[in-house]
Amino acid sequence: MPVTKEITKIASASLPFEEQWAIRRCRYASGLAGGRLCIAAGTHGDEMMGQLICFQVADRIQREPESLRGTVDIYPMLNPLGLDIMERMVPAGIRLDMNLAFPGNPQGTPLEILCHAVMQDMLGADLVLDVHASTHYKSELYEVRMNEADADRLIPKARTLCPDLIWVYPEYAAYGSSLTSALCAAGTDALILEADERRRKPQEIAAGVVSGIFCKMRELGLWTGETQQAPAPEAIPVVRTKAEVCRVTCCNPGVYVPEDRIGTEVRKGDLLGTVVDACEGVVRERVTAPASGLVFSQRSYSAVYPGTLIARIRKEPV
Amino acid sequence: MKKEVLYTVPSYFRDDMKILSYRFGKGEKSCIILGALRGDEVQQLYVCARLVSFLRDVEKEGGILPGRTVTVIPTAIGASMNVGTRLWAPENMDINRCFPGDAAGSTTERIADGLFSTLKLYRYGIQLTSFYQPGSFVPHVRVMDTGRQNPELGCEFGLPYVYVRKPRITDKTTLNYAWQLSGTQAYSLYAGKTHEIDETAAEQTLRAIIRFLNTRGIIRSENSPGHTASVITEGDLTQVSAGAAGLLRRVKFAGAHVRRGEQLAFLLNPSDGSVKEVLKTPATGVLFFVQEGPFITQYSPVFQVLTGK
Repeated sequence: MPVTKEITKIASASLPFEEQWAIRRCRYASGLAGGRLCIAAGTHGDEMMGQLICFQVADRIQREPESLRGTVDIYPMLNPLGLDIMERMVPAGIRLDMNLAFPGNPQGTPLEILCHAVMQDMLGADLVLDVHASTHYKSELYEVRMNEADADRLIPKARTLCPDLIWVYPEYAAYGSSLTSALCAAGTDALILEADERRRKPQEIAAGVVSGIFCKMRELGLWTGETQQAPAPEAIPVVRTKAEVCRVTCCNPGVYVPEDRIGTEVRKGDLLGTVVDACEGVVRERVTAPASGLVFSQRSYSAVYPGTLIARIRKEPV
Repeated sequence: MKKEVLYTVPSYFRDDMKILSYRFGKGEKSCIILGALRGDEVQQLYVCARLVSFLRDVEKEGGILPGRTVTVIPTAIGASMNVGTRLWAPENMDINRCFPGDAAGSTTERIADGLFSTLKLYRYGIQLTSFYQPGSFVPHVRVMDTGRQNPELGCEFGLPYVYVRKPRITDKTTLNYAWQLSGTQAYSLYAGKTHEIDETAAEQTLRAIIRFLNTRGIIRSENSPGHTASVITEGDLTQVSAGAAGLLRRVKFAGAHVRRGEQLAFLLNPSDGSVKEVLKTPATGVLFFVQEGPFITQYSPVFQVLTGK
């Protein structure tokens, strides 16, 4: 049975000038028994990595359609207006963070109505993956993130996505309004994938994530083609508590010049980067690792203030 | 009056951002008023500037009551005001989503912490705030329903309404919420506009704050009498949303009494001027909120009608 490909507007609202603010879904359906995987991206308009990941997943499905079982739904642009202008928030006069508007409200604002429609469309899937790409000037390893409340259930499921790290967020009020939290609260498993596009060769970063997605699809019975071997559970580091993360910030304003530490194990005292002052021609600060461990977030070359996040280190287990 | 630097954010490319406070009187930390937390809260800044000017005169005349302190912080985001951004620009974050703050956190969390370490010391806290959508409200007091709220005290501002609102998940990191949990009686005042100065609404808000300071025994100053306030909740408000998108042409404005079925606004085709929709009120009441547009997206809430009060 051939794989069908169908692009549908799952929700829309009219904009003032002859345009629809629409959220599109591309469905690849095998017609064969199997589950459903949803892959969403672009909640934040300044995060482009999800586009490449969605493209690479779609490309492989189209090249190997005989391997697909069940259905894969791809929602590459949840915040299309923001993506168009590279703006994190939803523009359209309101400038709100879409990932703080779930589960939405069918009688609410346009944003709430669209969020509700997205939720309704995804509910009942075997798994939803929401792809993000960190924030400006910060590189991340390929991470799978989840809320503390769902961690016991989701950590085993996250391993076959083959991430570099699994990070359990501590409970924080705002996360309750995210797409993944709202879906989990409604009974549908959902995970955040974090992968940045700020390093060279974003296609290689995306390929690593996509490889993990197909490994997961195989485990879910959605894919019969070749995939990478899922690593042993103990091979993927897991951050479960705040105490396991060393959050490194700088103390001085200036221009931050990073060392290339992302994905490496550092020792306490190793140099992470330097804050320089170009006006006076002096080094303001040498930022060093306060603890030994794996650097999984790294600030890139940019302006900094006191408190700017320089790096996150997963501390070596004692 | 004592002018102090409450918190400093050192900068590299620019001058440091200093958060200034203006303190009047001595003794118990009675009331603190915070103006702009976002870079576009012009009206909020203006009301505070006028309040500082007013309290300076009151203090000279001996009008700050003994053993009482009142402090005004006109803005906590002057650096963003100077470059025209709403959020704390270097991190693109909303300070009012970072309370109670974190002294070891991000720059935005540090600003919130630096502010909150002073704000939480006061018995009464007043924040002049804005709504995320451009529009006009009937001037009112807002109180978050945390279980510690005291809306009756909010009636002492003498504004027509005290709106008690149930917090959403994302409200739990706002100043008003954190303030109440730390023991301060916190009130948010909606001062009409945001991006521009509205003299009438500014005067009304200023008078409301002075009234509150008078009735709480913090200052002694002549003032005009206020309204007998009604306490309202979300259940008292009926929303009128746009079924179509277009240009908004309002015929009714915030504060107007409207009867069921009355025309409130026209949504026009922005290219040919034809009427796409006539917005009518489904209930009799007072227009509590009116969106200003001019561009309206389909399904947008355009009016809130206060019924039954």
